[in-house]
Amino acid sequence: MSGWMQHLIVAPILLPLAVSGLLLAFDERRRTLKRVVSLATVGVLVGIAVMLLWLVTDGFSLDPEAAPRVYRLGNWPAPFGIVLVADRLSALMLLLTSLLGFTALFYSMARWDRSGPRFHVLFLLLLTGVNGAFLTGDIFNLFVFFEVLLAASYGLVLHGSGTERTSASLHYITINIATSLLFLIGVAMIYATTGTLNMADLATRIPAVPSANLALLESGAAILGMAFLVKSGMWPLGFWLSRTYAAAAPPVAALFAIMTKVGIYIILRLTSLLFGDASGGAAGFTDNWLIWAGLATIAFGTIGILSARTLSQIAGHYLLVSSGILLASIGIGGHAVTAALLFYLVSSTLAVGALYLIIEPVARNVEEDDMVPGISEPVFDDEYTGALEEDEDEAGIVIPGTIAVLGGAFIFCTLLLSGLPPLSGFIAKFAIIDALFQHTSIAPTSWLLIALVICSGLATLIGLTRAGIDLLWTPAEDRPPRLSVIEVAPIGLLLATCLALMLSAGPIFLYMETTAIGLADRSAYIEAVLHPPHVGEAGS
Amino acid sequence: MTDARLLPIILLLPFLGSLGAAFLPTLGRNKAAALSGIVTLAGLISMACFYPALAQGETVRLVIPWLSSLDFDLTLRLNGFSWLFSILVLGIGVLVVLYARYYMSPEDPVPRFFSFLLAFMGSMLGMVLSGNLIQIAFFWELTSLFSFLLIGYWHHNQSARDGARMALVVTAFGGLCLLVGFMLLGHIVGSYDVDRVLRAGSLIRGHALYLPALILILIGAFTKSAQFPFHFWLPHAMAAPTPVSAYLHSATMVKAGIYVLILLWPVLAGTQAWYLIVATAGLATLLVGAWAAIFQQDLKGLLAYSTISHLGLITLLLGLGSPLAAVAAIFHTVNHATFKASLFMAVGIIDHETGTRDLSKLSGLARFMPITATLAMVAAAAMAGVPLLNGFLSKEMFLAEALEAHSGTILDSMLPVLATLASVFSVLYSVRFIHQTFLGPAPPDLPHEPHEAPHWMRFPIEVLVLLCLLVGIIPALTIGPFLGTAVHSVLGARTPSYSLAIWHGFSLPMLMSATALIGGVTLYALFGARLNTFTQSPIIGYFKGRRTFEIVLAAIIDGARVLHRLFGTRQLQVQLRLLAITAIIAGALPFLNLGYTRGPRPDTLVDPSFALLWMVAGASAIGAAWQAKFHRLAALMLIGVCGLVTCISFVWLSAPDLALTQLLVEIVTLVLLLLGLRWLPKRLPDIWPEGHKPLRVYVRRGRDLMLALLGGGGTALLAYAMMTRDATDGLSRYFMEHAYPGGGGTNVVNVILVDFRAFDTYGEITVLAIVALTVFTLLRRFRPAAESVELPEQQRRQNAADEAREDRDRGDTVRHYLLIPRVLMEWLFPVIVTGALYLLVRGHDLPGGGFAAGVTASIGIIVLYMASGTRSVESRLIVQPVRWVSAGLLCATATGAAAWLFGYPFLTSDFSYLHLPIIGAVPMASALLFDIGVFAVVVGTTVLILIALAHQSIRSPRPPRPPEGADEGAG
Amino acid sequence: MEIVLALAIGILTASGLWLLFRPRTFQVVLGLALLSYAVNLFILAAGRLRIGAPPIVGKGTVDPAVYADPVPQALILTAIVISFATTALLLVVLLASRGLTGTDHVDGEEGEP
Repeated sequence: MSGWMQHLIVAPILLPLAVSGLLLAFDERRRTLKRVVSLATVGVLVGIAVMLLWLVTDGFSLDPEAAPRVYRLGNWPAPFGIVLVADRLSALMLLLTSLLGFTALFYSMARWDRSGPRFHVLFLLLLTGVNGAFLTGDIFNLFVFFEVLLAASYGLVLHGSGTERTSASLHYITINIATSLLFLIGVAMIYATTGTLNMADLATRIPAVPSANLALLESGAAILGMAFLVKSGMWPLGFWLSRTYAAAAPPVAALFAIMTKVGIYIILRLTSLLFGDASGGAAGFTDNWLIWAGLATIAFGTIGILSARTLSQIAGHYLLVSSGILLASIGIGGHAVTAALLFYLVSSTLAVGALYLIIEPVARNVEEDDMVPGISEPVFDDEYTGALEEDEDEAGIVIPGTIAVLGGAFIFCTLLLSGLPPLSGFIAKFAIIDALFQHTSIAPTSWLLIALVICSGLATLIGLTRAGIDLLWTPAEDRPPRLSVIEVAPIGLLLATCLALMLSAGPIFLYMETTAIGLADRSAYIEAVLHPPHVGEAGS
Repeated sequence: MTDARLLPIILLLPFLGSLGAAFLPTLGRNKAAALSGIVTLAGLISMACFYPALAQGETVRLVIPWLSSLDFDLTLRLNGFSWLFSILVLGIGVLVVLYARYYMSPEDPVPRFFSFLLAFMGSMLGMVLSGNLIQIAFFWELTSLFSFLLIGYWHHNQSARDGARMALVVTAFGGLCLLVGFMLLGHIVGSYDVDRVLRAGSLIRGHALYLPALILILIGAFTKSAQFPFHFWLPHAMAAPTPVSAYLHSATMVKAGIYVLILLWPVLAGTQAWYLIVATAGLATLLVGAWAAIFQQDLKGLLAYSTISHLGLITLLLGLGSPLAAVAAIFHTVNHATFKASLFMAVGIIDHETGTRDLSKLSGLARFMPITATLAMVAAAAMAGVPLLNGFLSKEMFLAEALEAHSGTILDSMLPVLATLASVFSVLYSVRFIHQTFLGPAPPDLPHEPHEAPHWMRFPIEVLVLLCLLVGIIPALTIGPFLGTAVHSVLGARTPSYSLAIWHGFSLPMLMSATALIGGVTLYALFGARLNTFTQSPIIGYFKGRRTFEIVLAAIIDGARVLHRLFGTRQLQVQLRLLAITAIIAGALPFLNLGYTRGPRPDTLVDPSFALLWMVAGASAIGAAWQAKFHRLAALMLIGVCGLVTCISFVWLSAPDLALTQLLVEIVTLVLLLLGLRWLPKRLPDIWPEGHKPLRVYVRRGRDLMLALLGGGGTALLAYAMMTRDATDGLSRYFMEHAYPGGGGTNVVNVILVDFRAFDTYGEITVLAIVALTVFTLLRRFRPAAESVELPEQQRRQNAADEAREDRDRGDTVRHYLLIPRVLMEWLFPVIVTGALYLLVRGHDLPGGGFAAGVTASIGIIVLYMASGTRSVESRLIVQPVRWVSAGLLCATATGAAAWLFGYPFLTSDFSYLHLPIIGAVPMASALLFDIGVFAVVVGTTVLILIALAHQSIRSPRPPRPPEGADEGAG
Repeated sequence: MEIVLALAIGILTASGLWLLFRPRTFQVVLGLALLSYAVNLFILAAGRLRIGAPPIVGKGTVDPAVYADPVPQALILTAIVISFATTALLLVVLLASRGLTGTDHVDGEEGEP
């Protein structure tokens, strides 16, 4: 990895950041320019993610020997400088993020990006934060990127303003600030016991921690874990999620589908790296808690889906269900389960994204009881008002059989989310249960998980069919909703991706399995970070 | 032998056809029908070609790798049995398509209909051709899905919507159970491949998981095949167009459950559990269905219940577990499909021609539509089990088996009687069907004048009835060989010897069917007339499957809502408490497991003044906590004290950089909060209804206090535990050693920030930038509460005074307010800015740095604002904060990226020293450029936020439109 | 010293938590401010205590043992900045919420005080 290729790893962070810096220099009136530039940027991000995938798999090969690629910022040797690490897992997450981001951004062009200033900048910065969280190999740098993505998410939730958004984000922000403090405490304690912040270095030092300091270390890790569990919406820490996402503008909510997965990703990464089987005294002390927390989360999410009154509530609680399934699976562990949960992670994220995008057009005619109030007009005349407030009609063309398109897409979503054939949702569900059956003796928790997986699927089916029948099948006197191509295309893209997941399930699943194996043996990761082939000279 | 590669094509054809049909013009009735017809016919013919090979007992297999790592490959498997089923699916499919062409009205958008129909056909084929359990479940759910779409085809009427939803929920639930059951089987056998599973019969039956697997699979089969107590969805599925009822809900889909039962019969059957569950369920279904069918007024309802009862009959046969019974089951499956499909089509014609399906309205149609009438009568006779018709043969076998049953349970003795009874019922409703519809006087009032249906609409019925007759009269020559192949492919070596002769001499079964015929007819003769008056069938009519379903569903949802309220919350306070509790538990558990000990490191001796300092700070912290509600300003000041003490302790504990930064941030934050205070409501002391605080308030506060103390104590203990342990030799040594040689700075902290860990700082300024933007966006739409909009008390007084005196204009006092300090403060501005720049450049070696400098500069600007007021400042110096932010971000990025030109990673630094007069050596590290970027961002952000807040006060707000829940004033 | 600092952290945390659980937005903001002081001191404590030895090294070779641990200080600096930013944001959001809902209750509607 030499020449310009080596800088590819930092690109997913730098590109959106630099572009947003550039966009800030332009006036809000240059709307078209901002749209073109930002969409192009995210498009490039997709390309970069693919190239990274190619890089970390030695040209899409499936041999697990392909080593993770490491980028040493400031050219300081690890563990002293901050490193970015791209392995199969992070590359996968990057691709997922950029795909979701692209579709969401495209969708927002329908009209949402106009309901407030600086939408594109905030959007790009959110991507920066998420990508950073996926790439970094340093727990404090992870904190920084968490803050980046959180700050951006605050801005995006508030985008379009309005009472519901404001009070929802008040909760969201308060809870997350408190969580960040926990994050810091955890990092401090881990540093106090190990003297390092680099993840790979931690992995090597933790087994050596004297038993006298073990409690301190574990306590620190547990407190640190809280931060990620809150992000992933674990019960009883995830009540904010459904409401916040429902309040946010649809494209924003769709993008947020990835944010719960950031928490999951970190938990997966850290548990496998720091508290894997080879971690001495601290080995796997989190597993049981994760399993039970996950099960509780699934149960609560299922209840929420059943009791939901609006589609967005269903979507929000589905996110909880998926987090629960992922957490429990992480707790149970093992190659097969990990591979299955990765597949499920990808499939469910895309599906929920699609659902969030489709909710608004489907419910456009029927005014839902607690629909988020639209854009409230500003009270004070201000610099950009001129450009922002004219409400020209979105370039919507009435497609004959709008309902047919919507209905088809909606059925796709339903099948995906409730895990029915023929889409990737079914395969994911099947893979998870199959993996749980791999063990010769099936633990009671596994049975419980299987039962909950089935129940949650059924609940989703019931909830979504009820809503779908009411919204799409009940004869409506008023004209079918106007639907612009800008709205249909991204939804179609997401669903097409899920279809592709299903069709090429074989190779994709092999990829997931190699990823799981790579996670399980940490040596490759540690080697790549701490003992690079050639250490760059420090400074000048 | 026909090439196995033909199979995937046959399987794919319907789906392609479905896609094609979907894109036909809305009213292309003929096109759609033609397309579907051709597709199905092609499938039928090519499927027929396989027979010769299968007749030799071969099994055609084709494996297309798909998800090999999970043992889920697309496995196509064709043997005699699945061949028979596919012929059924395709053959009846052709006829139904032809029939539907005439049945559906021209203005109906039929392409959609045909597209669904073909898709269903494909799924059904896929299920029948599956050689892999998971694949079966896969297509199984697909059939449920398309059945849902077809039932809901006329979704503008309520009944269709409800029926569709019910069918979907019930069958999908069953499908999920089936899936898990299959996976258990796979777990037992170690493979999902059907052939391998079929070979592992004894292993499966002996396994501990046999029973759960069996039950799950049976739930699946029973829901699909409408077995008691899951039968209730089928009658409501009759809301579908009649072709659908004829195809899905009598001939094919409802047989899917039967198919699975037969397929797995060799491995699952033969145990006590199997016998008890399957036979009982079958028997119950047989009786319930037949009984209910008698009292239906809707023709389709009658046929639906009769279908249920016949499905029960087949299930019962399979439950008996003897090979002969299995033969009978397979045989009856085919027979039932033929006569029931034809009956449905006939009913469709009647409905079409007369406009009603109400038995009590119909009568004597034979004189208007003789051909249809004849056909229907023959088919109905077959349903009743009249000799010389196919129904008779399988019924005979059934009765024989009912006599043969030897399970050692009470069922043995009851079975013959109940079987006869059921046959009596079926004769009864068949006779009623015939007599009530076709015979008797001309119908008095029909929606429109009935007449014979077009020939091609009748054609499918004619074919099917012909088959009934042929099979009934010369079974051995018609169905015989095919049945033989099918049976052999299922039972293999256990295939029993059976004869399809019509006449076995006088035997007990013979007698039983005779009894049934006579009994049925006599009963009808006695009660026939009265049957029309029933609105619901006696006894079981009270068991309202549908209502129960709806009630259960509603109950589940209500229960969910209760639980959701119970285990969820929308209140912030509760969520924060939960967060704290969870954190405390998480932090405490390891210590509870491993024990808490103080480390070996000796305490550094306490400095009394330091202790005193913190006594003050602690007191003020508590005071702030106590006073924050009613005396906000005081609380703010107390907090400021804490901040100050924190700064001092930073100095004390050798962290000058922190002290400096903390101090500056302190100032800015304070200003911010002060600006914010203005918009908060006046806080009135709580007025309690009873005059004194209610107990629950004390309880709540006590609990919060507990939590707070726990949390505080916990953190204190943690901190103490950390501080008393010896530091592990970590990163810091390296930083110390390389700060100057590697980073070109002597202030290690700053070098870490701008060099070793510059990436953190980079992210940090990004956060600042984002926050600035968000704040700005938010304040653009800021709408202050009505009562806090008007000018503050003091300004109002001053204005009043101005107006009182004629030599002064309104607002003069406000303008000339703080005249002397203003001048001083304006002189202060350049000084502060210079200080900021100094902090910036020296940062690398001494406390300071970009952030400190930035905050200082912005403080300078604040001072200016405070001194001379927003308007006048902005008239003189134009700050464009957003530009600053942007420039800062770009500068930092550019500095970092410059390293690329030298082939180094992002943010690699380089440095040299620049000797300036007076100032002396200034470190010119590239890090300095980076720090300048930081500086710019910080200035931009801070100023942006402050200005944005400050502006609120001076803007003349628009009249606030009555906002959501206008303003309840102070709480 | 250690005990004093530990107690200080404890008191700050306790008061901060108490304020965090209060129903009024302004109280919550103050609570978070107190908590962030506590956390900053906590991070400093993670580097063990050292009095009068700022990590400003000479230009020659240095003996790390005589200086305070710079890493926690660097972390705190970042933390201070970020918590400053988020506090400012929270303040503005609570003002906006107060403006839109007409109350300064954290749930945007008057519950029990």
